[in-house]
Amino acid sequence: MSKNPSEEKLDLLISYILIVGVIASVLIEATGIFEYYYAHRDLDIVFKQEFALKGTDFFSYAAQTIQALFVGKWTPVTVLAFGLVLLLITPYVRVLASVVYFGLVRNVKYLSITLFVLVILTASLILH
Amino acid sequence: MNLKFMSPLASNRELTLINMLGVLIISIFAGFLGALTGLGGGSIMIPVLVAFDIPVKYAIAASMVTIVATSSGSAASYVRERITNVKAAFYLEMFTITGAIIGATITSFIAPRYLYFFFAAFLLTSFYGLSGHMKEEFPGETRQDRFSRWLQLEGSYYDQAARKEVEYKMTNAHLGGLGMFIAGLAAGMLGIGAGAFKVSVHELILKMPSKVSSTTSNFIIGITALAGASVYFASGLIFVGLAAPMAVGTTVGALVGGRILNRFHNRVIRYLFLVIVFALIVQMLYKGITLQ
Repeated sequence: MSKNPSEEKLDLLISYILIVGVIASVLIEATGIFEYYYAHRDLDIVFKQEFALKGTDFFSYAAQTIQALFVGKWTPVTVLAFGLVLLLITPYVRVLASVVYFGLVRNVKYLSITLFVLVILTASLILH
Repeated sequence: MNLKFMSPLASNRELTLINMLGVLIISIFAGFLGALTGLGGGSIMIPVLVAFDIPVKYAIAASMVTIVATSSGSAASYVRERITNVKAAFYLEMFTITGAIIGATITSFIAPRYLYFFFAAFLLTSFYGLSGHMKEEFPGETRQDRFSRWLQLEGSYYDQAARKEVEYKMTNAHLGGLGMFIAGLAAGMLGIGAGAFKVSVHELILKMPSKVSSTTSNFIIGITALAGASVYFASGLIFVGLAAPMAVGTTVGALVGGRILNRFHNRVIRYLFLVIVFALIVQMLYKGITLQ
């Protein structure tokens, strides 16, 4: 009843995706908090719309945030937003990797299940 | 230098009684306890945040993002240690994400007062569900139904506390799916990950061993939270100043909690679970009743 070696590879892949995504996003968010402090001289939490994650759809917002970082037009809030975007992308990538894996090993049953999850998530992140 | 936990400008309606550093420190404790019990840091943080007068919808939205971090951080180690049943998680995620999207959409429109009572009522069901089963360490021999067998819902793991390889088979996959849809609905609506309810469904319906149950719940919570967060993103309810320190704090706490989970007996984890759930229920009922 133990798992076969192929499934263990999937477990390892998922584990790496999750840990890399979480560590990277947490480090970026921690950096963002430090930058916020040095820019504002306080750590107040502000509920204004320019401090909210918001856009036409999640993927466009993620692309805009990354672009802002690359062209140097970033603020501490952009850094914080990028950390959160990376965090939200992490489980999405885990599902994407699972779809690819079950496709490669031709497990139609679990390919269908993971594909269903991927389609619903993608639609929810795009449609508003 | 202003490194106090409280904001000096709390009288300004756009600011809060607690600042990022305060949220960060509390989140570390919440993440630790959340990972240990399978509740998730978010469900502990929401009652704490509303105690600091953070609007409940902002707390729920930030918690939803935070839960992604808590879940993914601790799930990574559980998956590698092969305690999590990944196939069961994939199957059950179909139901939780559908429920989460519907639940988060409801929260975007509903009056905040109802959320406090829904929160308390939902936690109450899981408290009742587990309290009658405190003596069960492992589910024992399970007769697997045909659908669960077709889904290959079975597995084994090494239990360090019991010092033995535990083999198990799950059953009632169809009812488990329904239960997880309700869990997803509550998760999306209340921003709690619904770990308590998921653990109940896993153990009482699907007949998972306790540790497989809490770790598989952790794994599923990440995707469920992403589905809910996608709706809150669309509603503009996710604020970086609240979500970022919560995510950092709960992740650090959850990583520590996840590392020592396997050293505890299931019974200890369950008692801790019950005490925390009881405290959260009292806080949310109090807040809902006293809300102006």
